Amino acid sequence: MAEVKVNGKKLTKRSLFWTWAPRSEKEAGDSIVRNLLLHWFPAKVTLKSLSWGYSLWLGTITATLFLILTLTGVVLMFLYVPSVERAYQSVKDIEYVVSFGWFIRAMHRNSAHLMVAFVFLHMVRVFLTGAYKNGIGVGQNRPLNWIVGVILLLITLFLSFTGYLLPWDQLAFWAITVGTNIAKNAPIVGEWIRFVLLGGHEIEQNALIRFYVLHCFFLPAAVLILFSYHMWRIRKDGGLACVDNLVLSQKKEKVKDGMKSKTYSLLGLTAGRTVQVETSLIDEEKYTVNSVPFLIRRIGLVMLGTFVFVVLISLFIHAPLEEPANPNVTPNPAKAPWYFLWLQELVAITTIRIGGFVLNGALVGGILIPGILVILLAIWPYLDKSSNLSTGVWFSKERMRQNIVFLVLCFLVIVLIIIGTYMRGPNWEFYFPWEPWPQLPKKF
Amino acid sequence: MDKSKLKKDVTIVYAVALMGLIVTIIMYIGYFTPEWKKYQSEFKRYVSEKLGEEKAKAIEFGVKQIYVKELNRVDRCITCHMGYEWKGLENAPNPFKTHPKEILDKHPLQKYGCTICHGGQGYALNKEEAHGFIEHWEEPLLGKELEDIYRPPDRKVLLQMNCNICHRYDTLTPGADYINYAKKLVKEKGCRACHKINGRGGVIGPDLTYEGDKAPEQFDYSRIGGYKSVFAWHVAHFKNPKMVSPESIMPEMGFGSREAIALTLLTMSWKKVNLPPEYYPQSYTALADLPTPEEIEKERQMREGEGAFFVNKGCFVCHSISVFGIESAAKIGPDLSNALEDVQSRFGKTLENFIKEPTGTMSIVLGSQIMLTDSEKVQVVELLTKAYEKYRKQQLTSKH
Repeated sequence: MAEVKVNGKKLTKRSLFWTWAPRSEKEAGDSIVRNLLLHWFPAKVTLKSLSWGYSLWLGTITATLFLILTLTGVVLMFLYVPSVERAYQSVKDIEYVVSFGWFIRAMHRNSAHLMVAFVFLHMVRVFLTGAYKNGIGVGQNRPLNWIVGVILLLITLFLSFTGYLLPWDQLAFWAITVGTNIAKNAPIVGEWIRFVLLGGHEIEQNALIRFYVLHCFFLPAAVLILFSYHMWRIRKDGGLACVDNLVLSQKKEKVKDGMKSKTYSLLGLTAGRTVQVETSLIDEEKYTVNSVPFLIRRIGLVMLGTFVFVVLISLFIHAPLEEPANPNVTPNPAKAPWYFLWLQELVAITTIRIGGFVLNGALVGGILIPGILVILLAIWPYLDKSSNLSTGVWFSKERMRQNIVFLVLCFLVIVLIIIGTYMRGPNWEFYFPWEPWPQLPKKF
Repeated sequence: MDKSKLKKDVTIVYAVALMGLIVTIIMYIGYFTPEWKKYQSEFKRYVSEKLGEEKAKAIEFGVKQIYVKELNRVDRCITCHMGYEWKGLENAPNPFKTHPKEILDKHPLQKYGCTICHGGQGYALNKEEAHGFIEHWEEPLLGKELEDIYRPPDRKVLLQMNCNICHRYDTLTPGADYINYAKKLVKEKGCRACHKINGRGGVIGPDLTYEGDKAPEQFDYSRIGGYKSVFAWHVAHFKNPKMVSPESIMPEMGFGSREAIALTLLTMSWKKVNLPPEYYPQSYTALADLPTPEEIEKERQMREGEGAFFVNKGCFVCHSISVFGIESAAKIGPDLSNALEDVQSRFGKTLENFIKEPTGTMSIVLGSQIMLTDSEKVQVVELLTKAYEKYRKQQLTSKH
């Protein structure tokens, strides 16, 4: 075995690198344990967890997008100036003179949009497969991981929202105006939240620097910590929920006369059995493969695919940059970022005009409805009383009704977003996609 | 899932990686062949043809820019417009043409850059975006493309708008004929009777000192046909104010295209620009946009003479009262010298009753613009009676 000398100490090659082609189970396990990046994963993984069809790999895609956002974001941090006088110009320079600047910005922007979309899709997948439910393992707490996921979704939205302001153009300024005005209508704390967020009553330098620090440090740090926990919990919960399902169905099939399993305990003090023991497969050879190289390669593939996809669309879809922010001129229509447009649409719908009397829908449409939806979402695992046979199964019959309600709500949100994005013209009037908007005036 | 399917992953990894490689190559090709490089090598070729190989050798490639800290501008126009300071390229085609020297002598590039005069987007490095005929850029190049849309009677005049950013307090700016003409019109037509301009003028119309800063969204285009722009709005409004905004009491001055475009350029140039003081030209009294001694004297007579009341109340905006030496700029209403009999014949009531209960346009003016107290109404009748006496006397003497 080759030896490498570092600071006079002899290190074997084996202790620095892991093998890509393990010759034994032990070597495969070693490769995982030895490597920090691979430490998240078990030595063996079920084929079901690896399949495209079960998880759709949406979480991995989301994590990759976050990685792309971090890398491009760090580059942008070197180039962007968070000041109301310079922000717009610095973005113009990124667009025109920084080598590949426009491309890095486009990647950042597109990844941000995609990340919001994929966090959402990931959540939809977890809901539809009942993957927030505990299976049979001891010490599982998937509902908690679901709540962490909901928080991650909210932080992702907030990350995107804070980034939206930074270019300091009309699009940024008015989207944040609409967004923070909706927040203002929250009972009791609304006014205060807006004040703290903006560092005042106006979207000005104070707001910009707060958004910048939140966007570049606090929120990504929060995502990183929660994401690590999210991943760690998956292992604590005995892997993806489909594993529980596999174990259960196997045991039903093969262990007719009761389950045989060992109980590990520390001097008899620990109650119950460990997750790993409880969920171990009976027919391991048939249903599992080594994580190295199969899991690692597939993760690499998904990451590479996501990266290439983002690069490819960034060639064609550039990050927008409108006129410099002008508090005196409201673009018509002024729209919130797309993922909040369903709220803006709800506000518009729930605003009732009776003669001269206007009942503003911001409280109902902008706070109450989304608030209730988010709370319901977070506590749903505790309300879902289906059996653990529905854990990790797509469209389980037992969970049919809740799946349908969930899908209908998702569908409504998406429809409202589409209407808000493509069918609302000046004065928030409805236009079909094929109808031209009235020509917007220009200076010349 | 079958274990054998996992083996296919290797092939897919290679396929996706190949795609990534192709995209990377495309990116680099794009990076090494920007539009401006084409212009720069064309320029080199053109120079070597016209001025010889020696001169062409001195040309350095790369992005070029003028950064004017005082104006907070960075102009990269010269990346393509490379001949701007070259001798011997006066007749070259654009973008290689030499810039007229006389103007550059007074306005050195290092101090002004390009876009403060020409418009366009200095940041940009490709023609379309640099010339600014794109969405979300409100300061396009004030050149041929725009003149093809608005068709001013003379060419190369739109550019003059930006001369007036610095020269706004001058009466005459050499080379800016349209702006000079517009300033002359402002004087002759008495715009200041209603409007405040550069801090001086009346309050009946809106203050125009920073009219050029109004955003496109702040105008009502519902009565304008065709292309909707601030420029088009102003031109249409100068030609026929009432048609564009029906509530306006601004009189129609009978302006043609030339007048309307000149005045549009002038009003749109009135912007709040943060210019360092040295950028404003040294205004000599003869040139500055100040009233002449005769004008001051006339104004004094109007304000202090017998008809002072009508001047102070703003009646003189529409009405002359020739017997008191008051001359209206707009002359929308009739001369009030003979109002005493004129009102009777027009409205069938005495002046006294008419002032108390006006009808028609005057009911709007006296109800919203010029509010008179009862004692002032009495004063109006007294003064106009006096004017009428004077008028009769003049009539008699002129008949003799």
